[in-house]
Formats: sequence, structure tokens, C-alpha cells
Amino acid sequence: MSWNLSKLVPRSAPLILLILTLAAAVSFAAVSHLVVRFTANQQARGRKLYAQGLADADAARYDDAIDAFRAALTCDPTNSQDQLSLARALRDSDDPRRLDEAESYLIALWQRTPQDAAINLALARVAAHRGSIEDAARYYHNAMYGVWNSNPDANRSKARIELIQFLLKKGASGNAESELMVLAASLPPVPAAHVQAAQLFEQAQDYASALSQYEEVLRLNPENSGTLAGAGRAAYRSGNYAAAQGYLRAAVDSNPRDANSRPLLATTDLILRADPFHGHISDAERNRRISAAFAQAEKRLTECAGQTNVDLKTTTAPTASPLATLQSRWTSAQPNLARLRSPAETDLPDSLMDVVFQIERQTAEICGQPQGLDLALLLISQKREAATQ
Amino acid sequence: MSDLASTTNSPTSRFQVPRRLFSTLEGVFNEELFFLILSVFIGIFSGLAVVCFRLAIDWTHLALLGPLPETHNWRLFAVPSLAGLVVAVLVLQVFPGIRGSGVNQTKAALYIFNGVIPFRTAVGKFICSAIAIGSGQSLGPEDPSLQIGAGIASALGRRLQISREKLRLMAPVGAAAGLAAAFNAPISAVLFVIEEVIGRWSAGILGSVVLSAVSSVVIVRWFLGSEPLFRIPVTTFKRPTELLAYAVLGIVGGLASVVFAKSIGYLRPRLKALPRWTQYFQPALAGLLVGLIAFLGAPQIMGAGYDSMDQAMHGQYAWKVLAILAVLKIVATTFSFVSGTPGGMFAPTLFIGAMLGGAVGDIERFYFPQLTGSTGTYVLVGMGVLFAGFLRVPMTSVFMVLEVSGNYEIIVPVIIANTFSYLVSRGLQTVPIFDLLSRQDGLILPSLEENREETILRVEDAMLPVPSIILSAQDYVDANARRIQNSADTTFLVRMHPSGWNTVSRDLLQRLFQEGKGELTLASVLPPQSLPGLYPDLALDAALRYVNVYPLVPVVNRADSRKLEGVISRDAVFTKYGSTQTVAGV
Repeated sequence: MSWNLSKLVPRSAPLILLILTLAAAVSFAAVSHLVVRFTANQQARGRKLYAQGLADADAARYDDAIDAFRAALTCDPTNSQDQLSLARALRDSDDPRRLDEAESYLIALWQRTPQDAAINLALARVAAHRGSIEDAARYYHNAMYGVWNSNPDANRSKARIELIQFLLKKGASGNAESELMVLAASLPPVPAAHVQAAQLFEQAQDYASALSQYEEVLRLNPENSGTLAGAGRAAYRSGNYAAAQGYLRAAVDSNPRDANSRPLLATTDLILRADPFHGHISDAERNRRISAAFAQAEKRLTECAGQTNVDLKTTTAPTASPLATLQSRWTSAQPNLARLRSPAETDLPDSLMDVVFQIERQTAEICGQPQGLDLALLLISQKREAATQ
Repeated sequence: MSDLASTTNSPTSRFQVPRRLFSTLEGVFNEELFFLILSVFIGIFSGLAVVCFRLAIDWTHLALLGPLPETHNWRLFAVPSLAGLVVAVLVLQVFPGIRGSGVNQTKAALYIFNGVIPFRTAVGKFICSAIAIGSGQSLGPEDPSLQIGAGIASALGRRLQISREKLRLMAPVGAAAGLAAAFNAPISAVLFVIEEVIGRWSAGILGSVVLSAVSSVVIVRWFLGSEPLFRIPVTTFKRPTELLAYAVLGIVGGLASVVFAKSIGYLRPRLKALPRWTQYFQPALAGLLVGLIAFLGAPQIMGAGYDSMDQAMHGQYAWKVLAILAVLKIVATTFSFVSGTPGGMFAPTLFIGAMLGGAVGDIERFYFPQLTGSTGTYVLVGMGVLFAGFLRVPMTSVFMVLEVSGNYEIIVPVIIANTFSYLVSRGLQTVPIFDLLSRQDGLILPSLEENREETILRVEDAMLPVPSIILSAQDYVDANARRIQNSADTTFLVRMHPSGWNTVSRDLLQRLFQEGKGELTLASVLPPQSLPGLYPDLALDAALRYVNVYPLVPVVNRADSRKLEGVISRDAVFTKYGSTQTVAGV
């Protein structure tokens, strides 16, 4: 019997389609069952490999971790967790060739869930590995404002701190300070958080803000010697020597073995004793300090000339050394010391100390960082310069 | 209400409602619509089969080799060898006719076997390919998926006892579904089926092929997700001068394609000619070779190799490794394929292209650091290059890369590289690989490449110039008779009014004149017929239908049918066919 479609269709097409639909539904259900079972089996196998990969990654065995995560993905190719972990292992393996692959995994994940903070953070770290400030900052910000599965506040703060550290490492202090300001404004009342912020401010060379963070910690925990030392150090670096003296002394008192604070305290004491521009000293004391500084400068000049074999008597250009020129200035200014007591000579202290400061700066450049009173005078000159700017 | 009550209460009425429904629905369907709907079902069933096929391959691979094979593991050579023995027994004893990729068998079903692909073949292909690919033979799952789809479609068509004409079309419809599901790329699958399986552009089947391909892809994505085959890295194309670099890649890819195709073409008939008992061991020996390569340090060449392609795309291998992998894959795939192990060549082709592309790209960038294309870009372009050169499907090769990458920025490099690869391959290897395999099996099947190269004769090639005498139907018979007095022609074209053409013979015109009808218009005495008009660009075959009926056929302008471009006669057509060497089927 020969059938053809044109004969068959008008008679029973709906019936055929009904049967086909039922057959498709049954096949669909059967394949669904098969896929579900297979997938469950594969996922179980993938979870084991994933755990093995995590253990390897934690032990910094990144090659093994990568193999394990790859195997896990073979079992469960769409698993986001496996992909994210593989991307992290690829990134952390310190092989620049693997960054591309890590990034492509992360980009694929990011396209699916752009709001996921963990993925954005991982992408930010890849960008940081590449040294791209713009991309890293963008992904770090996405991570800060993204969705975290747990501890959102702590994780956001960590992400911001990581961004700040990256910016500081890349020398982008301006951007880092902006982020630090935001960080400082949202810190919880926890000493450790303020200490970390203070240290970051110090790295950004914003010592005044660092000092205020240390002071905040001291408000919460006044007896902490490390914090006292940090506050003293920040005060010292910011030129606030009076405060520095107090904090450093307290730090040394509470921890006599603090070898870092002791020399700072000694220098601070010297500065406070030698600074002729200190507000609460008599004219006689000021004149005494100027005379002492003037004498010290000459001594420093002679020592430096000796170190560098410079003849201070040769003052004729072009063979004259800068030290000889300074010696000449010092010699011509010395007679003015006698006129310090005269009330009419209001500019004289400044002009004499200007010679001292120039000598200290110049010799620091030529002969290296000074010690003792010379260091104190150099720091006073820097503070004075900063104040006049 | 009472009618409804009486209907529902009647015992026979229970059957009347569905019967009415069916009779109403029956009016909606015609043959074409039914075939289109059937295509969707073919897509669904093929998609489901391909999902199972992929699970079977994955399961076999995990069971036999583990999730991530390590080098220097004895299983690497033991598994493919033993699996090769099992496959050989199955192929030779249980499922004869499932050797090779399946593309040719599907094409043969269309052109020779009236669309019949035994369901047993589809089952055998499923089982043996899953074992072979899962155990690490260097073959891919795409071509078997194509044949499985075609087998399901053919079985369905035979079960429904559809006409022979439609049954023939079922195979390519199922093939498109199977391939689309395997590749997760419906456009490439449709193009491949048109370029390679059907071998000619046929608008009649296009709708069904597209429907089946799309529905199978929907099924596969439903079950296995819509994750692409590869995670495509950022691919860029900035400077037009970089096209030179891609052209070089095309040339290298073309040469590699020729080596690959010639290796298969040389070894396959020789291994087939060996005594039958050796065929039980050929897949095992091929498996042993593949396993040894893997054991000695290149497990990437096992199976389809998509993971390795993915890693190559992300610059995980140095150029030397990429080049070695490309060479080893050619060797491994050649032996796996010629041994008669069922499995496809699509994935290995992509693998070789990917590795070659990456290697060439890295070398080029080493010598010309100003090139901006990433390794991933060269890997992607390389895939298309081998596709174009080895499989000789230039259209599919371009769309495959675009569909897989989802990036249209690289379309120009892909076209340039593929064109060079195709031209080099065509120049050095006249017969495309699938045609070569068919001919080795004693089958001569049509191909699109053959059609492309065939010289098409057109009406304008055989057209005679506009005759010097054209008679007017509105003129009197005696006036027209006077006009032809000095002409040697026997037949004259007559312009009808207001439009149309006719012919009149010298004898008829003279007889009419002698019968005293000289003062009648020609229109009133001619038989009422209007000649068909031909256009210069039509194939000359179209003229054959008319030149036996009419002594002269006008060739008119497409824009103005009253404007005569020339005439065509039977002698002119046959003279043209006789003088032209055309490529003809044997």
C-alpha cells in the first residue's frame, strides 16, 4: 500500500501531531530525568574537586588548585562558584599569561550578575595585577556598592582599604586620600579600624589625619603603647612637636623597649629646646637659641666640607663649591649676631636663622641626613617653610 | 442549553466532539504546513537525542579517563585502545555502515537512498561515537550528531509513510537539527547543511531546515544551558594593514588543510583495502597512537579538545606548544578517522585551526610587535581558516566564527583569512574532502563547490541579433509580403499590438497573399497565439522548453517587454551547447 503525505495529511494530520506532541512530551520528561540525575552526579563529583581546589589554593599550590577547579568545571561547567575560584587561582598564580583567562571567566560571570560584589572584587584585583588604575578603581567601587552575601559593611570597608593600598602603591596619593576621607567617615568605633586608617593616612603622608585617627583610638583605649607611639610619630611628622613630645614620652614610658619612639623623642626634645621661633620664650632665650644654632651651623658646614674635601676658602665662581658660598654667607652674617639685642632689629632673627636653615638644608643634600641638633634645626626649617607657604 | 444537555448526555456524542475538532483542524493543514510543523518535531527529537549523546560522551569520558586526564597515566593509552577494540567489533558485527563522520552518509541518503537512513545506523552512531570520543579518540561529536538527527528524521518520515519526495528532504532537515544542537549554533548548521549536505541553494527546504535547527538549539539550551562553547576573550581589529597578518594565517591554514586532507585521502583507501580481520584492530591501534601521544605529554589532543581550544584562546600556551599540538592533532585525527572509528572531523578541524592560528599569531606578533590582535583573535580566526580550507565550506566557516564568538568586529579578518585558506586549499587539493571520501566509497554526489564552478549558459550566450525584418501585425498581408521578398529567411517575427509577439513563415504569408487576403491585416489572419518572451539573463535551459515549439522566440528587455534584445532558435541553442564544454554529471 503506497501512502503519501498529500493523502495522509487531510485525513489524520491533527491526530499525527497530537501523537507527536505526546511522544515529545514523554521524551522530554525522560531526558529531563536523565539530565537531572546526571547533573546531580556530576555536581557531587564537582563539589569534591572544588573542595580539593580550595584546599590547594589556601596552601598557595595554585597549579594544583587550577587543575582541580578545571576538573570541577568539567563536571559542572556552569557552576559560578567553580568559575570564580578558578579565576582567582589563575590570577593568584603569578603567571601573567593566566590573567587573560582569569579575566575572561570573570567577565563572563560579571555579564550574568554585574551587581555581584565578589566578582567585581575579583575583577578589580585582576585589574590591579595589570596595574590599571582606572579599571581597578571602577571594579573596586562596583564591589563596594555591590551585593555581598555576608558581612556587607566589613567587606565594603575591606574593598575600600584594598583600593587605597593599591592607589598608594601606584603613587596615586590624591585618589587614595579621597578614598581615605570616605573610609574615615564611615569607620565603626573599633580601635583596630582606626589604627588601620591611621596607618593608611601615614602612607598617604597625611599625618594630621593620621594623628586624629590615633587620637580617636586613644580616646577608646588610652593605654595602648603602640597607639601612643603611632600618635607621637604622626604628630612628629606633621610638625606638631609639642603634641609629639607628649605622646612619645608616654609611649616610651609605657614601653621602655620601644626603640623607634626613643630617637624621635630625643629629636623632638631638641627641636623644642632649640626652636627660636617658639611662642613662649623670652627674647634672651630666643637670642641664645639663635646664637647656638648659628654656631652649630658653622660646625656642620665645616664637618661636611671635611667629608667632601671641599675647600671653604675658595669662593670665586665658577670653581666655588656651594658649601664655600654658604661659608661666605655665614662669615658675612656673623657680625650681626652682636646686634640681636637691639629692639630695632626686628628682621635680624629671621635673616640669621635663614643662613642657618640654608646651611642645614644644603649640607643635608650633600652630606646626608644629619643627626642631633642639626636634624632638629633641619626639621625646624622645614616646619618654618611649610608655615610660610 | 437543551442542545448542549442532549449532546453531552448522548452516549455517542462523546466521540463526536473530538471528531468535529479533528475535522475542523484538518481543513487548516496542507502538505507544506504539515511538513513545516513536522520539522519542528524533528528539531525537538534531534535536540533531545543530542542532549543524550553529549551526556553519554561526558559520562564515558569521566568513567574511563576521569575529569582531567594527567600525562604519564597508563589509562591514557589503555582506554582508547581497548575502547577501539569494542568499537571495531560493534561496527563490523552489529552496526555496519556507521564508519566515518556521517556527513557523506546523510548526503547519500538524500541523493541515492531516497532519504532512507536506517534507524539502526543512528543508534549505532550514537553508541559507538560516544564510546570512541569518550575514550579519547581524536574525533568530534558534531558530525555524528548530524547523522543521528538525520536518522531520527528519516525514521520519523518512514513511520509516517510520507511521500518519497518529502522523505528525501527529511534527512537534511534532521541533519541541520543535529548539527545545530551539537554546535549550539543554528545559523552555521543551516549553512553547512545547504553547502555540504544538500549541495545547492534550495529555497523550498530552507524554512524546514531553519525551523528544525532553531527548535533543536532551544532544546539543547533548555537542558544544557546557553553557555557558549568558548569563553571569548576581547578580540580587536584596529588597523587595516593587519589584514596582511591574517592573510598569512590564511595561507598557512590552507597549506595545513591540504596536508590534513591529503593524509586522510591517502591512508583511508589503503587501510580499507587491508584484510577484513585487520579492521578489528585498526581503531585500537589508532587509539593506542592517540593514547601514546597523550601519555608522552599532550593529553590535549584527546577527544574533541574544546577545553584546550578555550585555553589556547586565552594565551595559555606558547607558540611552540600550539604548533606542536596542531601537528599532533593532525596525526591523531588522521589515524582515528582512517581507522574507521565513528566520529566527526568538525571539532578536530577547529582544534587544529585554533592551535595553528595561535602559533602563527604569536610568531607574527614577535616579529611585528605593532600588531594589535590578541592571541584569542588569531585562535578564533584560525578556527575559521581550517574550516574553510579543510571542509571547504567558506560561508559556514565565516558564520561559524561569528556565531561562536558573538563578535562582529573580526568579520573582515575572518573573511580575508578564510578566503586565502579556501583558495590555497582549492588550488592544491582539487576535490574537497567530503567529495573525496564519497568517491573513495564509490559514490558521486553533487556539491555546491562543483555547482559554483560549473559554467552556466544563459540565453544571451545563444541569442541571435535582432532580425533585420520585423513584421507588424497591423500592416496588411500584401505589404508584409512585399517586405520579405528579398529576404532569405523562412520565418519572421511579428510585432503584435498593443503588445506581444508572434511568428509567421514565408510559405504562410505567400499562401495568404495568393488566396486574395492581401488587403487583410496580418493580425486578422494569423492564429491567435502569443509567443513567450525570454530574458537575456535566464539560463539557457529555460529556452529549451520553447525552441521546440516555436521556430523563433523573442528575447526581450526586462524593463520594456516591447524592446527586442534578440531572438533565439533551436539551432542556436543546440549550437551553443555543442560548442561549450560544460561540467556534466557522469
